[in-house]
Formats: sequence, structure tokens, C-alpha cells
Amino acid sequence: MTGRSTPPGGYAARTIPNITAVARREFMSRARTRTFRLTTALLVVAGTALALAPILFQWLEGESSGDRVEVIVGDAAPSVDVVTALGQILNSASGPSIPVGGQDTAPKFQVLAATDLAAARADVLHGSSIAALVLARAPDASGDLTFDLYSKDSALNRKVQLIRQAAISIAIQDRLTRAGVSPVDQAHLFTPPSFDVLPADPNAKPGLNPNEDPTAFLVGFGLSIAIFMAIILYGQWIAFSVAEEKNSRVMEVVLAAATPFQLLAGKVVGVGGLAILQYFIVAIPMILAIVFQGRIAALLLGGAAAASPSIAGLQFSTIAAFGVLFVLGFAIYACLYAGAASLVSRQEEINQIVAPLTFVSVAGYLVATYAGTGLIPIDSPLVVILSFVPLFSPYLMLTRLSLGTAGPVDFAVAVLLLLIAIPAVLWLAARLYRSGVLMYGQSPSPRTLWRALRAR
Amino acid sequence: MSLVLDGLVKRFGSVTALDGISFAVPRGEVFGFLGANGAGKTTTMRIVLDILRPDAGTATWAGTPTTDVPRETWGYLPEERGLYPRLQVLDQLVFFASLYGIPRDVAAARGREWLARFRISDYEKRRAEELSKGNQQKVQLIAAILHEPAVLLMDEPFVGLDPVNVALLKEAFAEMRARGSTLVFSTHQMEMVEELCESVALIDKGRLVLAGSLRDVKRSTGRRVVRLAIDGKAIDGDGASELPWLASLPGVRVSRPGQDYAELDVPRDLDPERILKAALDAGERVTNFLIADPSIEEIFIERVGRAPSEDHHLAVAAPSDSATPPGAAA
Repeated sequence: MTGRSTPPGGYAARTIPNITAVARREFMSRARTRTFRLTTALLVVAGTALALAPILFQWLEGESSGDRVEVIVGDAAPSVDVVTALGQILNSASGPSIPVGGQDTAPKFQVLAATDLAAARADVLHGSSIAALVLARAPDASGDLTFDLYSKDSALNRKVQLIRQAAISIAIQDRLTRAGVSPVDQAHLFTPPSFDVLPADPNAKPGLNPNEDPTAFLVGFGLSIAIFMAIILYGQWIAFSVAEEKNSRVMEVVLAAATPFQLLAGKVVGVGGLAILQYFIVAIPMILAIVFQGRIAALLLGGAAAASPSIAGLQFSTIAAFGVLFVLGFAIYACLYAGAASLVSRQEEINQIVAPLTFVSVAGYLVATYAGTGLIPIDSPLVVILSFVPLFSPYLMLTRLSLGTAGPVDFAVAVLLLLIAIPAVLWLAARLYRSGVLMYGQSPSPRTLWRALRAR
Repeated sequence: MSLVLDGLVKRFGSVTALDGISFAVPRGEVFGFLGANGAGKTTTMRIVLDILRPDAGTATWAGTPTTDVPRETWGYLPEERGLYPRLQVLDQLVFFASLYGIPRDVAAARGREWLARFRISDYEKRRAEELSKGNQQKVQLIAAILHEPAVLLMDEPFVGLDPVNVALLKEAFAEMRARGSTLVFSTHQMEMVEELCESVALIDKGRLVLAGSLRDVKRSTGRRVVRLAIDGKAIDGDGASELPWLASLPGVRVSRPGQDYAELDVPRDLDPERILKAALDAGERVTNFLIADPSIEEIFIERVGRAPSEDHHLAVAAPSDSATPPGAAA
């Protein structure tokens, strides 16, 4: 004997220490790589830029004085100030997509009066103007205004369409003025009516009506994307980590020291821990950017700080539910990714072997998205049943919770089922892993899978 | 108190890798585990380590099934060497030791000691992929012994080492042996078996061919070897042409002719001294006469049908990524 006594209890006694040791190695060796640091930095920049995209676009476009449109009124003698009216309509129609101070911000269109059609067309050709609008009167009895637009764009171009809409409005105003309708009455005529969308079912639960909480869908949608991204991205990490160990033949040494269960669990915890860390590093600046979007917009675009997008749908309970479903959802998929990856010998084969898992994950995400947007009724039996099925519940239960169609009991049942399923999946994956990691050269097929599962 | 394998059977689909293997490894001994490639050596080791489970039979250490024995009991050097390519050498050692319950600081101290003994201290901070094959192998061996296991299982530990490192490894063996560890290793270098092993087991095609102490195994062949040299005469396969007295001895044949000396196979019932007497009676000047047991290599060839070294070279030439059922290698 060597003088060092072995602890009683066999392998079980070393389960937690070994899971910790494997997790630590996975975490540290991956966190130390240049690739990890670089991708984290890139994700932070990309994530923050995505969160600020509306402001950044506006800021970049706002650098110029706006798209210039030259208007030649000629002899048309319209009853409204076409230059002013066109400017107002265009800049309100294409107004900011987020509330950033409305009229205080720089206009997107700059409308100018012109007299020389040849010069105006030359400006369009040189790019200093985007279009020249020429007014005239119809020679027939109606005497309506007519519009010719000179542009390098097609008739289907969005800006051309906006100018067309504005021209229609101006023509109607002109007709109304000529018919003797006062400007006050005209304003009244154009006030939009009240228009509400209500559920047909008189017993519908509150929350089904998006009017009551329009951010609820966005929150559910955003959090589903977060889970989906984590599973796809970090699941791949686990799969590649298994394949790397297999390729370097280190697996057999590690298997002699720790059980497949300990290895698998350590890998999931280590990679999962690093994934969550990276996720937070990326998510925190993104969330801050969204929360302070109004102030950032005011800073970049000028004008008063406007209200940030409402995050009323983001309740603490939703965040807590997201946290639980994120961790459990990641764990169940991570185990399956590791088990599947143990069956292949080369890293090139990983995508092939994990494809069915990715498909299931995409299916769950799509059903959740369709249910959230109303393409599939959120309370349909399909959605309700799938929201309890472990591989789908992380997506669907979250969507149902954020839309208010599932309560704490539903959530608890889904979590319970996940907690039951995870050890079962871990067992299955460890079984695959035990025999899969010693397989070399076999192509991943249902037969290989079956043999691995049956191997003692 | 030993490692006992009893009736181990392991099948991979239609292939029977082990077919009722039984033998015992005495505690504290150096044990040679011999067999051609595909004989079932690696499968047997993997069963002992609980990497594979047998279809039948048991493996016990000191009376306890190996599945219930703490893993730190074992140290393992697999035939397919493997380290984490991008992990630094010392981190690698600390990680493996931590799986066996050795505190990180103790593991680091022991790791540095062993790196110094194997003369690779300078590589402590290098990544494994930057090391030569031989140095990687040394790191791998250190990883297997750092936790001071009671039993060290090694698959071809001498392959790829130069003579200096072979000598270092033998020293390490001696030290482990002195500390009371049981050493089990497979090799195709039969001179290593002769030099180091106290007991051996030979398996072929999943079946046990022979097992026991080296002396008993050699004696079990029923013959002995005489090494003979005669001044001024070559003893070739056809010894009778130049040495008619040799041909007159019943059952004696030249098993290994040579210029310096020849080896003669002698039946157990013939007193080897009769050969010496016959030579002297014939007026020959005998310059070398030695009575020995047959070498382990001869026994291997006799029982398996080919030399272990030939088999190894064939294996080395074979593509490494050939399809093998799990654990069916060697």
C-alpha cells in the first residue's frame, strides 16, 4: 500500500469533488483562450450596438440635413402651402421609430421651393436632392392638382411612396379647401378614430389582449431568443469539448479517474458556468442600453430626453422564471449534446450528430414565437401541452408566463417535470458517453446509437 | 490480497474479446501482461478500471469488486497516450491528481519533483502540444503515478522512449515497487519482461494461454536451453555436419544458431551436462556453457505462433483510425 488511505464509499465519495475538478478545468481552460476573450468583446459590442440600433441609425442619418425634396409649384396655385405641408407630412409619416423627442430631432426630409425644373432635375442627378416634385392643374373640369415626381428611384421605393402619400393628402386638402371646408374642420376630418382589438371569447383571461400589455409579447419573445441562443451556442461548446477530448485520446485517462457521470456533469457545469458568465457580460450592457435608450438618444440626437421603451412586461417574477428555465433548459440540452458528441470521432461530424437536437430546439423556439405573435393561439392544446414537455417547456412556458396565460402552478409543474427529466437524460447521456467515447471510426448512425445504449 | 480476475467474458457484437480470462496478480509484484495485438489486454485493463463492464466474470482487488474500489487505487497509462493539448504541463498533472483527491498544492509539489526526476522541469509551463512525443509520454506517466496508486496498470509503457528514458522509467518502477505498489504492464519487449517481471500472464485471442511466476512459466515448457560455444567452430542449424556428437544426443536441436554461441533446446529428461560431457569427449574446446530456461520470447512464439515484436510492427503500420468496437483494441 502507498500509505495514503482511500476514503470509504467508493466512487460516490468523489462525485462532488470530481465534478468540481472537471468543471474548474473546463471553465479555466476555455476562459483563458484568446478566442473566448475576443468573442466576448465582440458580442458585447454587437449586443450593445443591436440594442442601440434605432438610435445609431438615426444618428448616422441625422448627420446630414435630411433628404432634400425640391417642389416646383409653377402655375398650379394650390390652396395650401405645399412646401410646408409636404415637409410636415413627410417628417411625421417617417418620424422616429422610437420616442426620442419627436419634433425636436432633425427632420428626415428637407422640403424646398424651386422654380427651375432643369436645375432641380440636375440636383437629383447629382444626388444633392432625392426628388423634384412638380405641381400642375388638371386641364379637365375637376381642376385637381397633378404631381410629377422626378427621381432616380423606382416607383416602389419607400421614399417615393411616402412622397406619393403626402401628395395625395395635399390634393385632398386642396379639394376640401376649394369646396369651402375650413382648416379646423379639415383637421377634425383627419383625426384617426378610436380602434381597439378585443378578444372574441368573452371569458378570455386578461393578458390575452395585447392592448393591455403590448410589451408582454416582446419580453416573452426576447427571453425565448435568449434561451434559444444559449442552447445552440453553448451546446456546441459542450459538443466540441467532448470531441476534442476524444480526438486527443485523453478521454481514456480521464475515464479511469472519474465516472462518465462525473465527467459529463462537470463538463455541463463548467461550460454552463462560463456560458452564463459570458451571457451576463454581454446582457448587462445590452439591458442598460435599452433602459437608458431615451437618455442616450437625447445625448446623441439632441433634444429633450424622452421616455425609454416600456419594460413594464418585465416583472421580477418573469425574470426569476427565466432564470430557472434558462438553467434547467440549458442543462437538459447540454447533457444531450455531450452524449451525442461522444458518438463521433471527428469534429466535422458534430453538426451531423447534434442536428436532431438543434431541430427540436428550433421547433420549440418557433412554436413559442408563433404562439407569442398569435399565429398559433397561445391557449391552443398544442401550445399548452408542449409547454410542460421538458425539451419544449423552457421556451413555451416562458412565453405563456409572459403573456399571462400560465400561472405559478403551471410553472411549478413544468419545472418539476424538467427536474425529473434531467437526471434521466443525464443517465442516458452518461450511458452513451461511457461507450461512445471509446468508439473510434464508426459513422454516427441509429445502429451506433443503439449499440452504445446497449453496451454494458 | 491481490488483483484477481475470474472468468472474464466480454463481447462486442459478434466478436468475443475475452473468453473466460482468469488469473491473479500478486500484490506488490511487477506483473507482465503479454499477448499479441487484439488478444484482449486493453479490454482486460479497461474492465479492471471499470471503464468497461464484463458480460460475465468478476475482477476483484483485495476481495472487493473493482467497481467498488476507489478509483485512486489505480494508476493508468493507456496505450493511446492522451493529454489536453492546450493545457500547461503542471496544470495537467494537478488536474489529473485532483480527480484522485490530491490537494492542488500537494499535486503541484509532487508534479515538480517528478518532472525534475524525468529531467523535464523546463517544460512545466509549456503546453502539452509543444512537447515531443517522448516527453509527452513522460508527462503521461507522471500523471498516472502522481497520486501514488496501489496498482499501476500500463499499456506498453516503454514504447517511444529512448534508452536514457527507458532507464529512468525502470528506476521509477523500482521506486514504485519499493513503496509497495503493484505494477502491471503489457509490452512487446520481452527482454523487459525477463528483466522486470516476477509474474506473467499470456493471453491469445481472448483466452488465457499461461499464467504464473516467471520461473514456473518457464519450467512448465518441459524443456531447457543450453547456451554453447566451441572454439573455432560455428554451430548452425545443421549441427550434425560439423559436430556429429551433437546429432547423437536424443531430442537436442539447435534453436538459435550463431557465430559466437548457439542455443540448444534440451528435453527435460536429458541431463544438460551430458552435452558438455559429449563435447569434451569429442575433444572440443568449450568456451561457453550455460544451462537456462527458455526465454519468454521463445515461449511466446511457441504458444502464440509469432514473435510479439513482429506483431507490434504490424500494429504500428496499421491505420490508427480503423473501425474498432468500443474497447476492442489490443
